[in-house]
Amino acid sequence: MIDFFSMLFLLAGALFFLAGTVGLLRFPDLYTRLHALTKADNVGLGLMITGLALQAESLSVAGKLVLIWGLVLLAGASVAYLIARGALLRGVLPWKR
Amino acid sequence: MSWIKGIIPMFMKVLVFALVWWVMTNGALQSWLIGGGAIVLATLAAKKPATHFTIRYFKLVMLIPFFLKQSILGGVDVARRALQPSMPIDPILVECPLRLPPGSPQVFMTNMVSLLPGTLSATLENNRLKMHVLDQQSSYMKDYLLLEEKVAELFSVPVQNTGAGELL
Repeated sequence: MIDFFSMLFLLAGALFFLAGTVGLLRFPDLYTRLHALTKADNVGLGLMITGLALQAESLSVAGKLVLIWGLVLLAGASVAYLIARGALLRGVLPWKR
Repeated sequence: MSWIKGIIPMFMKVLVFALVWWVMTNGALQSWLIGGGAIVLATLAAKKPATHFTIRYFKLVMLIPFFLKQSILGGVDVARRALQPSMPIDPILVECPLRLPPGSPQVFMTNMVSLLPGTLSATLENNRLKMHVLDQQSSYMKDYLLLEEKVAELFSVPVQNTGAGELL
């Protein structure tokens, strides 16, 4: 039963990583690509962490996985800001429809 | 009685550091010999508050489900737009005068805006936040204003009226 839910979460996570990568390839400029990478991958990682935490042999291992997720979320938000800021200050114009 | 007020935040810090140590060492008993010292040192190092604003820790905990929800909505939203053959995006830069005081509230807000569906912080300068919006027809502004109010509550500051944002 737990294995089934683990699989479900891992597959759903992989789907979000796939969507993030498709966005990275399809979206027209740096800014929109950052959206795809940060947001879709955050959810993908969250789902994978949940799937893996279900398999963890102890509560502390599960806690470690959740800690990793939180740190990646924070790092992702800060780095996305720095990249977007760097691009904007260098005059990279956003794509418009 | 002012020393009592300091006890609770200190206790919370000890608790958080102990939790992190426990997680990192998988609860190995012998490790607490070093861990105990590390926790004391970490608590002393964290004694000086990182911000002069009063953080309401209860509000911080209450924010977690909100961020989780927004983060999932944001992920689903961008995944849908990326996968749909017609790729429905209509990006725009928006500059908003922040209704929060400079320092930690603004920095916290800037980081959290990137978790909301369809918005990405780009620059924070002179109390103005420039953000990139994935679809200008989406209801991003509603989420943004709500988040700002929640951040104000978290740092126990009032939201200032600074006027509307503008499209760039």
